[in-house]
Amino acid sequence: MLKTYPDSDGRFDELFEAPQQPRAHWLRFFRALTATSAQDIRARLAAAERQIRDSGVTYNVYADPQGLDRPWDLDVLPLIIAADEWREIEAGIAQRAQLFDRILADLYGSQSLLQQGLVPPKLIFGQSGFLRPAHGMNLPGGVHLHAYAVDLARSPDGRWWVMADRTQAPSGAGYALENRLIVSRAFPALYRDLRVQHVAHFFATMRDSLQHFAPKGDGPVLTVLLTPGPYNETYFEHALLARYLGFPLVEGGDLTVKGGRVWLKTIGGLKRVHAILRRQDDTFCDPLELRSDSALGVAGLTDCARRGSVLIANALGSGVIESGALLGFLPRLCEHLLGETLRLPSIATWWCGEPAAFADAIDQSKRLVFKSADPAHRFDPVFGEDLDEAGLAALVKKMKLQPERYIAQEFVHVSQAPVLARNQPYGIVARGIGLRVFAIRSQSGYLVMPGGLTRVASGADKRFVSAQRGGGSKDTWVTSSGSVDTSFTLLRSTVSASDLVRSGSAIPSRVAENLFWFGRYEERCDDSARLLRLALNQLLDNDDDEDSIEPVLALTREFSLTEEGEDPESALLAAATQEKSPFGLHGNLRNLEQVAFTLRDRMSMDNWRSINLLVKDPIFGQQVSLPEALDWLDRTINGMMTLSGFALDGMTRDDGWRFLSIGRRLERLSFQCLALQVALQHGRASGLTWLLRLADSVVTYRTRYMARPEWLPVLDLLVLDSANPRSLRFQANGVYSYLMKLEDTYGSCGSELMRPCVEALEGLDPARDLQPENDHLRNTIDMLRSTAFALSDGLSHRFFSHAQTNVWATLGR
Amino acid sequence: MGGHASYRVTHETRYTYAGKVTSAHQLAHLQPRNTSWQRVVHHAINIEPQPAERADGVDYFGNGVVRFMIDAPHDVLGVIAESVVEIDAHAPDVAAASPAWEEALAPPGVWGPDTDLEVEHYRVASPMVPIMEESIAYARPSFAPGRPWLDAALDLTRRIHAEFRYDPKATTVSTQVSEVLEHRRGVCQDFAHLMLSCLRSLGLPARYVSGYVLNDVPAGEQRLSGADASHAWVAAHCPVLGWVAFDPTNGKLADLEFVTLGWGREFSDVTPLCGVVLGGAMQELTVVVKVEPLVA
Repeated sequence: MLKTYPDSDGRFDELFEAPQQPRAHWLRFFRALTATSAQDIRARLAAAERQIRDSGVTYNVYADPQGLDRPWDLDVLPLIIAADEWREIEAGIAQRAQLFDRILADLYGSQSLLQQGLVPPKLIFGQSGFLRPAHGMNLPGGVHLHAYAVDLARSPDGRWWVMADRTQAPSGAGYALENRLIVSRAFPALYRDLRVQHVAHFFATMRDSLQHFAPKGDGPVLTVLLTPGPYNETYFEHALLARYLGFPLVEGGDLTVKGGRVWLKTIGGLKRVHAILRRQDDTFCDPLELRSDSALGVAGLTDCARRGSVLIANALGSGVIESGALLGFLPRLCEHLLGETLRLPSIATWWCGEPAAFADAIDQSKRLVFKSADPAHRFDPVFGEDLDEAGLAALVKKMKLQPERYIAQEFVHVSQAPVLARNQPYGIVARGIGLRVFAIRSQSGYLVMPGGLTRVASGADKRFVSAQRGGGSKDTWVTSSGSVDTSFTLLRSTVSASDLVRSGSAIPSRVAENLFWFGRYEERCDDSARLLRLALNQLLDNDDDEDSIEPVLALTREFSLTEEGEDPESALLAAATQEKSPFGLHGNLRNLEQVAFTLRDRMSMDNWRSINLLVKDPIFGQQVSLPEALDWLDRTINGMMTLSGFALDGMTRDDGWRFLSIGRRLERLSFQCLALQVALQHGRASGLTWLLRLADSVVTYRTRYMARPEWLPVLDLLVLDSANPRSLRFQANGVYSYLMKLEDTYGSCGSELMRPCVEALEGLDPARDLQPENDHLRNTIDMLRSTAFALSDGLSHRFFSHAQTNVWATLGR
Repeated sequence: MGGHASYRVTHETRYTYAGKVTSAHQLAHLQPRNTSWQRVVHHAINIEPQPAERADGVDYFGNGVVRFMIDAPHDVLGVIAESVVEIDAHAPDVAAASPAWEEALAPPGVWGPDTDLEVEHYRVASPMVPIMEESIAYARPSFAPGRPWLDAALDLTRRIHAEFRYDPKATTVSTQVSEVLEHRRGVCQDFAHLMLSCLRSLGLPARYVSGYVLNDVPAGEQRLSGADASHAWVAAHCPVLGWVAFDPTNGKLADLEFVTLGWGREFSDVTPLCGVVLGGAMQELTVVVKVEPLVA
């Protein structure tokens, strides 16, 4: 199996200390692996891949033609690090985090480091990450840096070096967690036997520390996770962390500033936000003070930070540390600020703003890589070894104008680690790796996650190790010499009554609105597909001799699928299979897909994919025959049934689910009313089988009556039968009971509008009223339909008006 | 030039929206700054409609700011700032002695223990003030090696005045310096950004000054450009003379006729009134500035 594993070629090899000689801490894993059959490996790999697919782990790669939602690339072989080596790394990272926190406090406070010449002012003042409005903020607990991540690489001599620091909104901890869940299941025995240190404690500390440092007041501490939204490359991780930590996942538009405080717009009104774990870059956080061309963000957030009324992790402006230019100054700063020697060395870095360093870097250009000193400036790294004389001269000329904007760095020949090759037969190959490690500020200093995200070079250019460039990842196992604290999970051992979660009380208005519309569009797609199938079937073989096709066509017109005067067959085919048909099936599916996309953190990836597949179905835009169109409609209806099955089985019955259900039922209620109105208008001459078919009630009817459809029993089944899920009464009762349930929490939600409808249905006398000419029946149906519209408006006004997206128009700049 | 002057400044800004604005957050840089040669005797800002919240503060550059929030639906926003200031003559004589301009460059590679951050803030590029070859090329004729600092800077000020046309239609608030250089037109803000780009590209510290210029001139004298709105000019730092203000729009040193609101790296640091609103699109913006001399 290791036949394919190459020699290290001058690199450090994580697995072997000499050819085929595993290092001590790998020995056990190595023996187990070599004793495992290829078949067994295949099975573990397949299980891991299934788990990735099922949990929907994705990473959006901007540069990837596959676009959104590339499945997460995880190698099941962990990187193993011995306990004693880890202790060094751990101490170095905690020290570094503390150092950066102190540097930030100085830069955004007294600036004595600049004044005393310990850091060149130009290095800081020229950074776009240095945010002047963030100066002089009153930070809760005085902490700038809550979450910190660092990228490490190991050089051929076995030492770990810091390649880069992540101080603004570090990503990856959630992926590390997900990798752990998957890989520990792939090798459960080894995971236990190697006494791998657990990571759950790290996340619990993150949750508790934010709560500890957050300002208090206006109810229990509410921490939210601020995401730029589903298009962000690490959105999956935002959703995962939010769920794992129990924080609402919010976008900028879900928050508002009033009275110098930040509030979450929920269906229960405004709720004070005490802490924000942000995954949004700081320049996008506040269109008023940070970046006027950003329509995103929360206007006034900077001022709240200034007042100290909200904890923002990390503090606004903390990104300034991410400039590589500081690296060379850290040893001195560490001595100065902490009185300690810097434990973890940074990769050798020249800041070109220093003339002597600039000249030196040019002299050694062959072994250096030139980069921007400012992460916000677009400048692709240039490897000195790739440049000829003219190329170097051009680079120097460019840099000379503003040398402070550039750094030169050595590049490390990163270590290699074993990776399971995907192609058959399963072999083990070597890939370059880097390690991202995470730290969180706790009440007693910085806590380092034991483990981290090992990143695997994609292979194309081994000099890069980057998820954004399409590399893979690994779990990281830190073995322990003592016992492993297995008692810990994020779930508290005892939950007291005051800890009980009132489900859904903090559902953002935007989410509730999207759930409501998900319900409506899902039902509307189903209704459109069923109606189109019915109409096309009737065109194909009108075997119900007494059934005229006229009412069905009238209904397709009423439902905006076709128009008066069109040829029925081509109009129906267009509505079913053409993209440009304005109110056709495609438009409804697309609306459904868009809403589903915004709800990805609430429903499984499979749901979104199945809708996405329908929208992208190759049938759209083709010339199709009638049978092909019918086949397509069958598929659509099946897809919708799967989706509604998910809503029925897969969602917690919280208020969010109630909004989804109300949306579906209002939509179905209004559609069934419309169908009945059309049927009643056409009267006794037109037959009734179509109506039963449309309501999916043919079987029920035949079982009950063994007879041809007649008005009294059909109307009873479709209007009054409270056991038939497509009857008006079933829908009306459902909507009414959901509204009553919501009113327990939120006060009036519109049940008073629905009650007369429920009573009117109860008041219908089958013997007297269930006839097509009956006015009482007609009026009741009319009232139900207009009430469905009124309720939809009323709910929007009552719950979703907050959800108005903050599209800020900027003035004066 | 000697003596002193007093002014009453009224700065009225009125936004008219098409449709109701439901929420507005605004940040105003409308309060004149106290300096060694300028005293603010009176200052008040009136806002219509009444803001739900209002707070005074000081920004990073030491300028006074007012932040306010309006949450009542409105279709007109009016902000009137009224100030009375006394100004002492402070500009150096155009013939004053100054060291060679190279003396104002940062000492290479050294960060002494007594760095004057007040100067260092203004050496680097900022979003609207790029450091670029074109600006060096334009500035070079004024900055011959060894030329006295004041002489060189004043020459650049006068060249911009002479070689660029004042044209409010040519540019917007987001026009880049490179476009201004190419088309040789613009308004005070563009000329200030251009001059800043020239100075900083050479390595000289210089800042953007926002304020007003006297628009009430005796009969027969030519009115200064930029007098009916807020004005902008440049202050550059000389190791001997300190900060000296140059008005490239009018080709002269800024002195008694200039009321200083505040300064920053560029326009966006000291925008008189900026904000974000939800709802109605902006339909009309009117700004009326009056600078009246007061008899002492």
